[in-house]
Parts: sequence; structure tokens; C-alpha cells
Amino acid sequence: MTAMTAPLVDIADLVIEYDTGTRQVRAIDGAALQVFEDETLAIVGESGSGKTTLGMAAGRLLPPEARVLGGRIHVADVDVSDADDDALRRLRHDKLGFVFQNPTTALDPTMRIGRQVALAMGGRPAPEAIAELLSRAELNEPQRILRAFPHELSGGMAQRVVIAMAIARSPQLLIADEPTASLDASIREKVMATLGRLRAESGASLVILSHDLRMIARHADRVAVMYGGRIVELGAVGQVMQAPAHPYTRALLAAAAGNERPGERLRPIPGTPPILESRCEACAYAPRCAFRETRCETERPEPRAFAGREVVCHRAEAVIAADQSPRQEAR
Amino acid sequence: MRLAAYLLPRILAALITLFGVSVLVFLSLRLLPGGYADILLGPFVTPEARAVIAQRYGLDQPLVVQYLRWVWAMLGGDFGVSMVTQRPVIAELLRRAPVTLQLALIALAVALAVGYPLGVISGVRAASRRKRRDFGRVVGAMGASVPDFVLGSVLIFVFSVWSLWFRVGGYVPFGVDPVGNLRTMLLPGLTLSVFGVALILRTTRDAVLRVMTEPHITAAVARGATPGAIIRRHILRNAAIPVVTVVATYFGFLLGGAVIVEVLFSVPGVGLYIFNGLLNRDYAIVQAGVLLAAVVFITINMLADVLYALIDPRVGAAR
Amino acid sequence: MSGVARIARRRLRGDGLTLFGAVSLGCLLFLGIFGPWLPLGDPSRIAAGPRLGAPSAAFLFGTDELGRDFLPRVVQGIRSTFLLSAIAVAITAVIGTLLGMAAGYLGRHTDQIVARGADILFAFPALVAGLLVAAVMGPGQASAITVISIATLPLFIRVVRSVTLGVAGRGFVTAAEVAGASTLRVMVVHLLPNVMGAVMVQLTYALSIGMIIESALSFLGLGVQPPDASLGSLLRQGSAYLTIAPWMVLSSGVVLSLAIMSVNLVGDAARDALEPLKGRPLT
Repeated sequence: MTAMTAPLVDIADLVIEYDTGTRQVRAIDGAALQVFEDETLAIVGESGSGKTTLGMAAGRLLPPEARVLGGRIHVADVDVSDADDDALRRLRHDKLGFVFQNPTTALDPTMRIGRQVALAMGGRPAPEAIAELLSRAELNEPQRILRAFPHELSGGMAQRVVIAMAIARSPQLLIADEPTASLDASIREKVMATLGRLRAESGASLVILSHDLRMIARHADRVAVMYGGRIVELGAVGQVMQAPAHPYTRALLAAAAGNERPGERLRPIPGTPPILESRCEACAYAPRCAFRETRCETERPEPRAFAGREVVCHRAEAVIAADQSPRQEAR
Repeated sequence: MRLAAYLLPRILAALITLFGVSVLVFLSLRLLPGGYADILLGPFVTPEARAVIAQRYGLDQPLVVQYLRWVWAMLGGDFGVSMVTQRPVIAELLRRAPVTLQLALIALAVALAVGYPLGVISGVRAASRRKRRDFGRVVGAMGASVPDFVLGSVLIFVFSVWSLWFRVGGYVPFGVDPVGNLRTMLLPGLTLSVFGVALILRTTRDAVLRVMTEPHITAAVARGATPGAIIRRHILRNAAIPVVTVVATYFGFLLGGAVIVEVLFSVPGVGLYIFNGLLNRDYAIVQAGVLLAAVVFITINMLADVLYALIDPRVGAAR
Repeated sequence: MSGVARIARRRLRGDGLTLFGAVSLGCLLFLGIFGPWLPLGDPSRIAAGPRLGAPSAAFLFGTDELGRDFLPRVVQGIRSTFLLSAIAVAITAVIGTLLGMAAGYLGRHTDQIVARGADILFAFPALVAGLLVAAVMGPGQASAITVISIATLPLFIRVVRSVTLGVAGRGFVTAAEVAGASTLRVMVVHLLPNVMGAVMVQLTYALSIGMIIESALSFLGLGVQPPDASLGSLLRQGSAYLTIAPWMVLSSGVVLSLAIMSVNLVGDAARDALEPLKGRPLT
């Protein structure tokens, strides 16, 4: 962690609720997170954990049903929740790059790729410059792709175009929301590698929102695990994956294919993620937790430093200990 | 090539539709009591005239043969003869077609010029503020709800009391006296356009709102594009796609004969001609008029499909 | 039930337009249904007042050329315009829903035939078709109902068909088929509840189209015949005296427009509830 410089992204005590028309749903329940320069941070969680909300909030891209009720979001020294429209547009234009989950819907279906990339680059770029940018995103035959419409590209090619557009103006921060989830399994790794390489070349920071722990392990420096609208565990990828200190991280790892030892079965996480309607005054994970005790159901855990990371759990010591001793069912 | 693959099934479907329409029109007048000759020529026919009709349409033949003869005659340009004027119906209809066309074009132009921009503005505004109150809904609801004959009656009343520049009745062709023509045609055209304004406004508004839910709009916002640029580059074209279909339907109906407005403002177009044909029991006019209205409608929709393919590059690719 | 009421209240709050539509629709329906028993006067009593009398305290909407009180005649017109359109649209909705579900669920030949049939009916401009129907059946209420059906049947078929197509592939339908449910049972038990929402929305639009067509035909003298009155036939009656007694056209025209608008507004609200369109702001 290079805590010397001011963080690029500084989120604290963030609370975001959605107005569904019939009730309020709390998507972010007091999340805190910092992203530093030139690093890759992965935010991991099930759908409904709040990771997309958090990622979109960084560019104030949430739909109008979402309300930021508290906390602050600073990105590149801009107060995102307070900035006027122009300041925000300049921030997005100059310093942010977004990569969305489904590349075929993230491109305008009625416009040729060349024109869309040119718009993302700004000004009137020469065709050679556009082709050059596409080549950097490892697209072969950029000349052909320039003239194509989005529906004529495969998912992997379309996502490379989206990535090229995201890095077109050399942003300081790239936010990628499940960048490979909609792609064929065979090309996920390659697209991810391209994204990682382009990030490293430009020195930007990258935030990946994902549910895919295996991919995270290979491409991120730090990982933030989200549950119930909070960051429940935050630390270096190696540390967290080796010895999770939060029972949810542990369960995620056990449920992820590829982490099983020979003869071991995948263990799906029992229960479903919570839907909060107000501030959670207990541990949101308690109902699904194998380590829970009375305190977990009555007392909201606060972030604390533990074992070289930050964790939001009353029982972190027991969780770590369970992994140190030979693996056994906790319950 | 792909365009052909997209259009061929459509042309085929249009031909089938055309066939069905002609069968319906054929049957509706053939199966009436009194016989087709009576319907065509009225109750006071001479036996000779009846024999001519029976000869021409083969009224003693089976229905299928009669239908084929009828269609064959029409393909040769014989749509029947007006009982009142004894002139070919098709000539009379074609003579009045330009009047209806002009009326339809005025209505369509006004409807597009007002409805489309208002729809875009209303949609963009509705997406930006969650309040459901906005002028687009008011204009859309009112325009779609005031029938043209109510509006037309009110306008006639207003302009008969304060005889401003406009005139009701006394049509002159545009080529003869452009100003005089517009004095008689603008009012009915505007009356006719009000429903179109509402229709296009509502369709555009919905289309804009739907486009604005799409991720590529969020992506454009995320790139820091200005609202004006997003509307110009991404929303206008995408939102135009459903509007094309609705505009084609509207225009097709207008060309079919704006019966009410033509009757109300005494505009000597196709609709008034068919209506008068009905009042005079001149059924050859009604039959040919209805058939041609449907043919025009189907043709316009075919053209819309072509236009659709030009606007939306996806057409023909996915399906 | 209280949940529905709560959602309705939330929707109506801050939405004056829909509230206006709902209230005016309620009032018009009340007048239409209970009109004959309300103390408004006798719509057919000749020389109840002066001929072509202007609106006054005694005759709020004035009197017509036979000295009949115009207010009860308008109320009678509301009743027949609503009734006629509602009957036509209700019949059409049932037929259209069945055909649409059959086309969407059975597919193949049934789909082709139904879709082409809808195209054929749709190709007739409503009023031009009205002239043909009037030629064949003669002017009257039956003609009006037929024309409304021709114009609105394709709308029901198309909407129900596309909703059915979306639903037919879902798990619970497949499950029912695997469990051996008959075609009819699948359609009635599993598909019908899912298309009802779309049918209800379409019903309101069809009703407003039906009211426009009915009044237009009656205005042309092809629909409701005297001595019965519909809002369209009252307009026809009034248009003969437009310059000397404009209140006849104005009162029946305003009431007719209000009736159509309130139906449209309620339809808009129903559609917004069923299929909320939520774009995003561009900033």
C-alpha cells in the first residue's frame, strides 16, 4: 500500500438507498474505501452486495432512484456528491474510464465503431489514430472493425472496443464492472490480461467489480469483499485469499470453483444476501454465518485492523484460527 | 443481400395481406341480398345494364371465378363505373388523390415538426426528473383525446365568426392559386395534424425514455459527454426507429382518406368522394375506395420497413 | 388490497394529471350509469324550453332546435357512447386475447394465420372501413360495434401475442407441459394471468379508440340513429346550428373530449405501473 500520496478515491461512511416506489432499500450501509494511485483493487461480492452501486457512485452514475444519504465520495480531489454538473463532467471526461458488464449494450447500436471510438477520444482523431488505439486493445484488423456496427462484433471484440474507449483519454481511474462476466469463458482471461496491461502501461488505477475470486487472485493487488452494503474485509490479495478473516470471504472461497482441494466439494453459501431497509444494527452476515454468536445479532461490528488487513467481524480471530488448524467443517 | 433476406418475407406477407383485404372487400359486397348488379347500379336498373354487369363480372359463375374476374378486371384498370356519373371510378379517385395527398402531407409535416422535437424534449426531461408532471404528457393526452371533428367544428365556428385569413370550403388546386389553396387547406390540415402531433409526441417520448434506459447512454454519460451531444449523437437516431413505424401507420391512414375532416371542411378529396358514394348508394366507389385505401396503407408500411432497415443497422442481422 | 391502495396513493401523489383523469372518469361513469335516475330533466321532452335557447340557470347546456333540454341529452349521450364502445371493446378483447394467446403459444401455422389476419384488419383505415361496413350492414349501432372491433382487434392480438411469446418459454409453462397439462389448461391457468396486465392496458386504449370511432361514425350519421343520442350524434345535430347555437357543439364536444382524455390518462397510469420506463438523467 502506497499510503504516502493522497488516495485517488476516498469513500467514507457512505450510505445509499434506492426508492423502489414501494419502499426504501439500503444498498450501501456505511461503506469506506480508498483507492491509491497505480494499483488494481478488486471489489468482490454476490449480486446485491452493493458493489455495482459503489462503483457507479464513484462517477455519480447512479439512477435517480438512488439517493446518497450520507458520507463522502472524493475522486481525484473532486467531491463527487457535491460537484456541479460541469465539474463532474470534466472529472468523467478527463480522469475516469468505465468498462461495463455487457459490451454489446454499452455501444450505440446505430453507430459505426470508428465514430464511437472517435467520440470517446475527443476532437477529430485521424483514422490512423483510431486504428492505433484499437490495436493497443489487441484488436486485429482495426480497419475492418472501424467500419463495423456493434452487432457485427463478437462479445470479446466489443469489450476490447469498450476498453479502448475507456482508456482513450488516459484516465487516472478505470472502473470495470464485471468486465468479463458476459464473455465466453475461453476469452475472459485474455480480455482481463489486456485490461491489466493497458492499466499498467498508463499507470492508472483500476477498480474491478466482480464475483469471480479466481480472476481477482491473478489480476488485483488488493481485494475488498462486500457484503450487505459494507466492505467486510479489505487487504492484499495474497493475504486475504490465503487466510480469510471474515466468514463471508471464507465461504466465498469455499464456494468458488478452482479453490477446492482434491476430493473436496464445493460448498455453496447457504441462505441469501440480505435486503436492508435501514441501517443494520447487527452483523448483516450473521443469519448465514457459521461462526456467529449472540453479539453478532445485537451489535454492529465496526472496521478494525487485524492480521494485516481491515475486517468487519466480531469473530475474525476464530475465523483465521479455523483455517490455521487442519480444515474442518465449522459446523 | 441481407436487405433482400429481410425484405422478401415482408413483401410476401404484404402480398398475402393484400389478398386477404381483396377477398374481404369482394365478399362484403357480393354476399349482400339484392345481388351485385343492384348494388352496383342501384335498384332502378334496366335489364340491359344488368346483363352488361352480369356479363362483365360473370355473376352466374361460382364465387371463385367471380373473384378472379374481379381481380383480373382491376389489374386491367377496371375498378367499376360510378352509377351516378357513369365514369370509371378509378379515374375519379385518381383525380381526387392529389387533394388528399396534400392534406396528408400538411398534417404529417406539422405532426412531425411539432411532435418529434416535443417528444424528445419531454422524454429527456421526464428521464431527468422523476416528477411525472410535464407538458409532454399534457399535450399528448389532450391531442390524442380531442377528436378531429370536435376540433374542426370549433375551428369552423371560430373562423366563421371572426373571418380571419382562413376559408372553409371553396377548394382551389395549389397549381392554380397557391395562396387560395392554402387558405382552404391549412385549417383542415392542422385539424388533422393534432392527433398526429400527440401520436408522434407520445411515441417519441416513450422511445426516448426507452433509449435512455440503455447502458450505452450511461456509457456516454460516463465518458463525460454533454447532454446536448448525447441527445444529438445517440438519442435522436435510436429513438427514431419506433417512430418510423408509427409515422408510416399514421400516414397510411391519412392517405386512405381523412373522411371526417374532408367532409367537415368540404375538401374534395378521396374521403369525401367515398363518403358521398356511400350516401348516393354508389357502391362501386365505396368498394374501390376501401380497396385502394388498404393498398396504399400496405404499400406505405412496406416503404417504412425499407426505411427502418436504413436507420437500424441491426435489422436483418439478428432475425 | 391495502397494498394496492398504498401503491395507488403513492402514484397519485404529485401526479395531478392522473388524478384528474381518474376523478373525471369516475364522474362521467357515474353520470352515464345513473343518469336516467338523476333529477336532470327528461332528454326527450320537446319544448321543455325555448328553441335553441342559450345556456341559462334552468338549462345549463342550453336547449336544442326542438326545445329539448340539452344537459340530459348529453348525459344520455355519455351513456350510449361509453356503453357502445365498452361492449364492442369487451367482445373484441375476449376474442383478441384468445387469438393472441393461441398465436403466441401454438405458434407455426396458427401464428401465421392469426398474424396475417391481424394485418389484414389493420390495413383498413378505421373510418374508410366504417364506410364499407355501413354500406354492407346499414347505419346503426351494430355497424359501429363492428367497425370498433375491426379497428381494435389487431391491437389486442399483437400485444397478447408478443406477451405470450415472452411467457411461453419460461420455466413454469414448461413445467406444466412436462406435467402433462392440456394445451387449454396451460393457456387458461398459466398464460392468461400473465397476459391480463397487458390486456387491461390495451383495453383502456381500445376504449378510447372505440369512443372516437363511435362518435365519428355517429357524427357522420352512420352510427347511433335518432331519437337515440350519443355524443357524436349530438355533435352532428349541433353542427347544423353551429353559428347560431354553438353551445350544442361546444358542450357535447368538450364532454366527449373529456371522456376520451380521462380514459387515456387512466390508461397511461396503468401502463406506467405495468411497464415503468425509467431513463437516466444526462448529467
